[in-house]
Amino acid sequence: MLEFILMFIIIISAILALIQKDLLKAAILTGFSGGAVAVLFQILLAPDVALTQAVVSAVIIPVFIALAVKKTQREDS
Amino acid sequence: MAYVQLVVLFTSAALIIIGLYAAIFVDNIIKKIIGISFIEEGANLFIVAIGYRPGGVVPILMPGMDTSWFAANAAYPLPFGLVLTSIVIGASTLAVMLALVMVLYRRYGTLSTKVMLADTSKQEEYNE
Amino acid sequence: MNELIPLMVIVPLMAALLISAFSKFNKITKIFAFVVAICLPIIPLASNYGLHYFGGYAPIMDNVTNVMFHPAITYSFTFLQQIFIAMVGLLTFLVIFIYLNKYKEVSGPYLFLLFLGTAAVTAMLLTDDIFHMFVFFEILALAQVGIVAASSIDYSYEMALKYMILGSIGSPIMLLGIGFLLALTGSVNVTDIAAAVHNGLVNVTSPVFLMSLALIFFGWLYASGLPPFHTIKSGIYSKAEPHGAALLQSFTVISMISIVLIMFRIYSSLPIFEVLIVFFSILAMVLGVSLALTQTDFRRMIGFLAVGELGFIGLGIGLGTQFAITAGLFQALNEIMITALLFIGFGAIVNATNEVDTRKLGGLLAYHPKVGIMLLIGGMAMAGVPPLSGFQSKLMLVQASLSCGFPELSILAIMVSIATFVVFIKTFYAMFLRPKPNDLEVEGKEVPRSMIFAMGVLLIIIILLGLFPDAVTSGISNFVGGIL
Repeated sequence: MLEFILMFIIIISAILALIQKDLLKAAILTGFSGGAVAVLFQILLAPDVALTQAVVSAVIIPVFIALAVKKTQREDS
Repeated sequence: MAYVQLVVLFTSAALIIIGLYAAIFVDNIIKKIIGISFIEEGANLFIVAIGYRPGGVVPILMPGMDTSWFAANAAYPLPFGLVLTSIVIGASTLAVMLALVMVLYRRYGTLSTKVMLADTSKQEEYNE
Repeated sequence: MNELIPLMVIVPLMAALLISAFSKFNKITKIFAFVVAICLPIIPLASNYGLHYFGGYAPIMDNVTNVMFHPAITYSFTFLQQIFIAMVGLLTFLVIFIYLNKYKEVSGPYLFLLFLGTAAVTAMLLTDDIFHMFVFFEILALAQVGIVAASSIDYSYEMALKYMILGSIGSPIMLLGIGFLLALTGSVNVTDIAAAVHNGLVNVTSPVFLMSLALIFFGWLYASGLPPFHTIKSGIYSKAEPHGAALLQSFTVISMISIVLIMFRIYSSLPIFEVLIVFFSILAMVLGVSLALTQTDFRRMIGFLAVGELGFIGLGIGLGTQFAITAGLFQALNEIMITALLFIGFGAIVNATNEVDTRKLGGLLAYHPKVGIMLLIGGMAMAGVPPLSGFQSKLMLVQASLSCGFPELSILAIMVSIATFVVFIKTFYAMFLRPKPNDLEVEGKEVPRSMIFAMGVLLIIIILLGLFPDAVTSGISNFVGGIL
């Protein structure tokens, strides 16, 4: 059951990230999708990969994107 | 094939398709890069799903486990090792791309790909 | 001394890291980079042939099924790897020599990128492990992007970002292909996968196997700059500094042959594989030469000619006989040197005149006669004029396609060589021979001695290989006989 919920979280947050007008929100939604993928790795019996994915995809990548957005512009025009 | 694996494969296919759509058709460069990170995530998910064994255990040999029972029931750890490398490579590639975008934003003042990455040969002619 | 095999990758990698860490000390960095660059061509020549298992995990024989497994990452070092690694090492040495002479203050990160690229292509050539190859393929893409972005030419950042976006679409697709192969065979070792395919453990007509071919083939097209990536590939050559471009094209050629040799060992039983390679090679030959004819920027022209020459390598490998693959690999070796010579020579002209448009140049032979004559010989070698090395490899390719029963391909190859000659002579005439336009100001700048030295070394190798091709081809032929 958990995998279905995670699948919906991943796909919907991925689509929402791409249709956001505000790029900062898009960055945060990318983190949501990455974190859900990390839980999915845990279900697939790969705890080491899940740890790395949780750090990299749920924290580092959104922070990088948010920094880039701060240095450039926030609206998608 | 367990239904967990099917669900994961469907998710990875969806991520790859969403990412490809974003990388090819979306105009904003930061959204293009987000799309590229989705493609990488989808590929990683696919490779981890290969190593999954329905009803198996995590491939870490704990003290007190019988070795032959462990060999028969543990998941296949080789794909997990590959994915660890691939996640880190993806993050570093993304960082380099964002750095290039930040430099280019200072020159153009926009994030639109049509302006930023227009055909450079035409730009040179325009400058002349 | 088999211990030297991993050192071929470790030495440039460590040098890259140390140089970028201690780039504050200018003089020490210069001396260190020079010493390491001298070591690069010497290590492969001093090493013995053999296999290296990382971690010492030797292959295991399964007693039940009688199948050999390779648990470790394996490096195999034979004559082919030796000659190509030595050649890349020599080219890296020449490029770093030019760079150190050109600038008083060297930049640590730029040297880091050059060494990183060399380490990556060396590992791609040596490795027998398809995922290891993918990791260094990604590192190579990053190094190439860095070399392009570090140049001072206009619009280099845009080109670097474009190349990077295409690359980061291409490399997950290649990773998916590797994933399909892993799902089919349970291994990432090329020898194991090839054994599984040839022993019938894998159904070669299954859609999964064909899909993995398609995905890895897409990654190969991106790495080697065959169509549809020919425009971006020639673009990054023209946006890099000339000595950087000389190294970039050698990276392209070597990543092309190392990936295609791995694919050949796995997929050679599929007839569609060879058809695909020949199709894209012919497309690259025709498009490369015809687009080169329309360019006015001579750096871009050489870039397109380099893409066209890649088609000859693919043609040889796609024909699939021992003689044809030998010819293709020999052509790869020649192209590395010839194109590097042309890039360095035209870079010297850019240095002296600050002009890249052939319409505005002319009469340079009176100012730079040495560069002009060396460029002329290099261009003739590229077009295949006897007795230079390009002639030998192209003659072998024409003979190979005739003996395979495809006279059309040999006629096409000859026509493309003639067109290459026409394109080169047209540009050479416009730049060196015709009267000088009145508004062109040729400053009395000398061409740097280091560039003349580098061109001289490359020219000597081109002429020697043209006179004695057997010294290389017999060894390559033995290697090809081993993988067929």
